[in-house]
Amino acid sequence: MTRPLSRVVVISTLVRSFLVQGSWNYHTMLGLGFAFAMLPGLRRIFGADADRLDAAVARHFEHFNAHPYLVTVALGAVLKLEADGTDPQVVRRFKLAVRGPLGSVGDTLVWATWLPGVAVLALALYWLGVPGWITAVFFLLTYNAGHVGLRVWGLRAGLRSGHDVARSLGAADLVGWARRMQPGVVLALGVLSGAVLGGEGGLADAGIPWSVLAMAGFLVGLIGGHRAWRPAAVAIVAAIGAIAGWGVIT
Amino acid sequence: MEIVRLGALGGLLGLDATGVGQFMLSRPIVAGTLTGWLLGDVATGATVGVLLELYLLVSFPTGGARFPEGSTATVVAVACAVPFSGAGALPLAIAAGLVWGQVGGATITAQRRLNSRLVPEPGDTRSSPSAVVVAHVAAIGLDFARAATVTFSGVLVGRTVVRALVERWPMSMPSSTGLLLMGGAVSAGILLRDLGGFRRRRVWFAAGLGLGIVGARLL
Repeated sequence: MTRPLSRVVVISTLVRSFLVQGSWNYHTMLGLGFAFAMLPGLRRIFGADADRLDAAVARHFEHFNAHPYLVTVALGAVLKLEADGTDPQVVRRFKLAVRGPLGSVGDTLVWATWLPGVAVLALALYWLGVPGWITAVFFLLTYNAGHVGLRVWGLRAGLRSGHDVARSLGAADLVGWARRMQPGVVLALGVLSGAVLGGEGGLADAGIPWSVLAMAGFLVGLIGGHRAWRPAAVAIVAAIGAIAGWGVIT
Repeated sequence: MEIVRLGALGGLLGLDATGVGQFMLSRPIVAGTLTGWLLGDVATGATVGVLLELYLLVSFPTGGARFPEGSTATVVAVACAVPFSGAGALPLAIAAGLVWGQVGGATITAQRRLNSRLVPEPGDTRSSPSAVVVAHVAAIGLDFARAATVTFSGVLVGRTVVRALVERWPMSMPSSTGLLLMGGAVSAGILLRDLGGFRRRRVWFAAGLGLGIVGARLL
């Protein structure tokens, strides 16, 4: 017999989800962190039956990967499956099925849209004259409203839907949300570019040659994409080194 | 004592980047302000943080990807910028941060390889709940020690280099800023490409650009 999950267990799982990547590795990726986050629930479900608890723990530190925020969807759903006494092979297949979508949806929504969007907005505020510490606080509060909200939503959706959590994910249309946010992020990126071009302490003060060079750099990024990042960073560091060397020689 | 505090801050922020929380305290825009506050110069910390955030706009802690470690890079850069004056302090500190960010990224890869050895194998007698907790917490502790050591050594090396070069920096402050912004502009271009490209998003981008220029003039 298994016991139903309590509120304390759910909160404990949520808190542990913030540490889910603590032991990220190339062997099992999030696996150990997933088992770590599942522990309060597994202890509740299997109670004093140490053998079944050990077996469940061993099943859950196998290879697993997902976006670290949306991992709560899998945590909630798997906890519900375990609490319902679902066959371990079904649970394993479920984890195999959800890890890909949870990774790609999370990457699109959080890493490719939400994080750069809020960062660009904060940077734009700074270049428009807002004090640095206020932009930092703005960034933290805005970003984490989405971050923590997503984790809580994911855990609740997983616990509510269990095996059918894919329907909740589909209904939430998280990728659609990312798509709808992207024009706003581009608008903020434009504001940032304009503020850096025209603002005090920016390219206007540096002079036209630097503005032209910055536009060239922008084009390099636009055309080259991520391949351009490392060479550009190396070039800037090398230029700084060369200029410093020139100063020492002369 | 200051350098130990900086190392501890780097360790904590390094944890936030992937292992614990991911509240993005580790992003340069926040880490710079925090480090500036620790050193008693929030304004310089924020300036360094904002510039590094521009560079690292397109660098995210995705799964197994190798990425520069923004948190230690920022703590090192701010620690190198604050004690020195003159136009060279900012570019030299940013360069130190960018270099040390790559060092930090390499140590993250090494740490993840080490973590693979900590993970119990399925069927292993170490698969009890307490073994899972011990292995997981040990990995977090090692990550803190790694990031703290990277930061500590970065501050030592960076400050030595900046001290040797800052007085001889030949460029003016506006030109130095222009040089740094040129590098940041590459990241802005990459981000626009990621968000659909110029052709598809030109109306939104142009509208923002106009608003930004007008806003910067008015505010």
